[in-house]
Amino acid sequence: MMFNTLARLPDDRKSMYSQSQNSVYKTGDKTSPISVILVTSGSRGNKLLFRYPFQRLAECPSSLTAKQRSPYALNTTGDGLEDQDGDSREQSPLTDEQLVAGFSDIILATILATKSDICGKKFELKIDNVRFVGHPTLLQHPPIIQVSKTDPSPKREMPTMILFNVVFALRANADPSVISCMHNLSRRIAIALQHEERRCQYLTREAKLMLAIQDEITTMTEMDGSPQSPFRQILPKCKLARDLKEAYDSLCTTGVVRLHINNWLEVSFCLPHKIHRIGGNYIPPEALERSLKAIRPYHALLLLESEKALLGQLPLDCSPAMVRLIKTCSAVKNLQQLAQDADLALLQIFQIAAHLVYWGKAIIIYPLCENNVYMLSPHANICLYSSLAEQFSQQFPGHDLPSMLAKFSLPVSLAEFRNPLEAPAQEAQLIQMVVWMLQRRLLIQLHTYVCLLVPPSEDEPGLRDEDPPLAARVGGRSLSTPSALSFGSPTSSDDMTLTSPSMDNSSAELLPGGDSPLNKRMTETLLASLSEHERQVILNIPAAQNPEDLRMFARLLHYFRGHHHLEEIMYNENMRRSQLKTLFDKFRSVLVVTSHEDPIISIFQSPME
Amino acid sequence: MGMTTRIECIFFSEFHPTLGPKITYQVPEEYISRELFDTVQVYIITKPELQNKLITVTAMGKKLIGCPVCIEHKKYSRNALLFNLGLVCDAQTNTCALEPIVKKLSGYLTTLELESGFISNEESKQKLLPILSTLLEELNATGACTLPIDESNTIHLKLIQLRKDPPIVQEYDVPVFTQCKDHFIKSQWDLTTQQILPYIDGFRHIQKISAEADVELNLVRIAVQNLLYYGVVTLVSIFQYSNVYCTTPKVQSLIDDKSVQDECLNYVTKQGQKRASLRDVFQLYCGLSPGTTVRDLCSRYSQQLQRVDERRLIQFGLMKSLIRRLQKYPVKVIRDERSRLPRLYTGCHSYDEICCKTGISYQELDERLENDPNIVVCWK
Repeated sequence: MMFNTLARLPDDRKSMYSQSQNSVYKTGDKTSPISVILVTSGSRGNKLLFRYPFQRLAECPSSLTAKQRSPYALNTTGDGLEDQDGDSREQSPLTDEQLVAGFSDIILATILATKSDICGKKFELKIDNVRFVGHPTLLQHPPIIQVSKTDPSPKREMPTMILFNVVFALRANADPSVISCMHNLSRRIAIALQHEERRCQYLTREAKLMLAIQDEITTMTEMDGSPQSPFRQILPKCKLARDLKEAYDSLCTTGVVRLHINNWLEVSFCLPHKIHRIGGNYIPPEALERSLKAIRPYHALLLLESEKALLGQLPLDCSPAMVRLIKTCSAVKNLQQLAQDADLALLQIFQIAAHLVYWGKAIIIYPLCENNVYMLSPHANICLYSSLAEQFSQQFPGHDLPSMLAKFSLPVSLAEFRNPLEAPAQEAQLIQMVVWMLQRRLLIQLHTYVCLLVPPSEDEPGLRDEDPPLAARVGGRSLSTPSALSFGSPTSSDDMTLTSPSMDNSSAELLPGGDSPLNKRMTETLLASLSEHERQVILNIPAAQNPEDLRMFARLLHYFRGHHHLEEIMYNENMRRSQLKTLFDKFRSVLVVTSHEDPIISIFQSPME
Repeated sequence: MGMTTRIECIFFSEFHPTLGPKITYQVPEEYISRELFDTVQVYIITKPELQNKLITVTAMGKKLIGCPVCIEHKKYSRNALLFNLGLVCDAQTNTCALEPIVKKLSGYLTTLELESGFISNEESKQKLLPILSTLLEELNATGACTLPIDESNTIHLKLIQLRKDPPIVQEYDVPVFTQCKDHFIKSQWDLTTQQILPYIDGFRHIQKISAEADVELNLVRIAVQNLLYYGVVTLVSIFQYSNVYCTTPKVQSLIDDKSVQDECLNYVTKQGQKRASLRDVFQLYCGLSPGTTVRDLCSRYSQQLQRVDERRLIQFGLMKSLIRRLQKYPVKVIRDERSRLPRLYTGCHSYDEICCKTGISYQELDERLENDPNIVVCWK
């Protein structure tokens, strides 16, 4: 990476690396495919049926069609990128089209129509700067040929297709998760095609059509010598070709693919890298999945589009539960309430919510309430000339986005906006604005986190190691959602009840009030996980003399690791905010309080680095 | 170096005039099964169109990387010599770093064949087997290999791990060493970097380094970007007592992770003092919040700061992302028709950037903007 030409520096201060300042992923070339290719292998050998985008033969180095190309002609498009030492240097990077255009139809057919033993699995092949990914699929049963009994002509042998492969070509440096998504799409299309082939020989018929047109064009070219692309002629005549083109176009633009193979089977797919974008960067699918596995019943679902728009996008045969959920959900309702109102099991709510989030139709937030504290997201686009600013003024005439955003420069709770002299309509509009800003990832919500840290004892000489803090000692008590939550795997049992969940520590069983020996022992047990010194310090606090307060403190001890925010403790323990705040205040000499965003759902507002 | 990219096998394959494509040598023996080779041979001994291309194929849980070579000459049976020297790894391995090696090897063998018929001569071809063994061993052990082939030819290979592209370095960024400066043999770096190294102290920003080291600004930016690429430095923001910071969820790692704890306490303790206590340091970090300047922190937590250097506290917090800086962005919201379009007050440029570009001080900028009713300031 040493530079050898320091003299040659551009004036506009761009460095050699033209990346954005954030080290998060960029959308664009790396997430779009370069080409889609359909090949088959059968009794007629390996054939390339269709490819898109097709070469513009006028720009091709040789104007001969693939068939007439001399097998000994040097392929020059790939050279020039490598020097003799094998170091690759991008002098003038080839356009995406050029990368794949350099491969003739015949060679693609050879390398992409694989042997049958690697069928049914992911196929990945990298050649210089292009990566091909697909899912080669075997067609086991030869199609049954219907021959009419009265047909006098001799039985013709129908050429049999053994396997086919729908391949996507990507840039070699595409992210592994993108490659894996493309493979997924290839597999889905393959399943649909395999099914339709068994049912009515759809693929064989389309293949026959495509090959016939290719032969026709080749013959024409031989006769009058003007090169044409057979694929251009295939498009209007073959539905499958149009489907593949549509898949490619959708992947390059919206990232949402919806095909109807043979006008019958639906294949739907979304590329998370195109859908989950904040600014110019995308949220990695693994991070998304991790977040979704960690959501809790006290979270809420915020739709990113209007209810009407969303319902209009659903297919006719979608699940009624999904429709009910969309109609019932709201930014102020948590998932548990949503389950009650929509009359669905909580687990089902989680699954549908995860599905909506995955498809980019909703995000997870903490339900709106007046005690929520919001602040500007570090990745918020606050530029005066952004499209967001324009949209905001259209949506809320008389208000401008930067002024509104400036109000959230310091963390502010919604309650602080309340003005008794204002009309209630103003307040409603404020809520709408906050929802609008949350949908566009402009705000993050701050939560209070508490950590137990006892002042070190003074009589010990400084050489002794401090006690490892409570967080490191208390084992992980799992307070997470049912582990059955995963994409696309429904479970039958519903573990969560609709009332306040009972946790392992069964803190709810502690009898309220009274200084009974049972309670005293409970408190002692809970405090037993602390070191002697810690226990002493806590017991010396004036508030600890009150058995009620001490008991509450002991009961909540395991939350004081800095990983559970105030609202979570409130939800789990069925306590009021004021109760907790008073407790924190009483024991403030051993607690350290800070506030920051909830790492589980902050991914939706700002991608993590 | 070879840890993450382990080579399972090295093979030499060629097109035999009668037997067709076959594996002539492989180390370790029998690693590539007959089945596997049958499946992938079309990518190893290839049609002419694919020659001299780096081909990586994944099949049966393995990844094979090769570069097929074809040398045409009348002296060969079938008028051409086709061969491929490739590597095999596990399918999950990231093999980008191996590609230049495969390319180089194919180049070396081609040269050897053209110069002295190394491969077509049955005797000298046998030397390949010990060569493959040595390559496999050394590349896996140290990531590098230097191998004399005969009196005049030596192979030099090195595995270079590719790293992520670093971000653009701005003039108001501050580079800070991630390890002790003295660990590096400075004479290995280029002249520009050597000239600016003494000025990288975790407090000087790029513009200042450029002025004091007398090196052109863009050169400093590129040199620091290079250091960033190799993970030698990381970037933090300019330190001022008027700065505002806030905690991130990662601040909890100070409690959870003993190694971060130790590193932090060692880093932030004032010179010559007893090691600071975790509680004090954690309280200081948690004391940073929107609306609180470093100056405020110092006055509120003077007791905790007795053994802690606040500048290093902030520096460590930024380096490990325990805290983040809140920057001010002025936006001109109201303007009359006649005035010019705001160039810097658009919400895209922070105070740091504006002060750096225009040369005015923070306080001066503050005074100017506070008195302007058309400008709002956003913190983020």
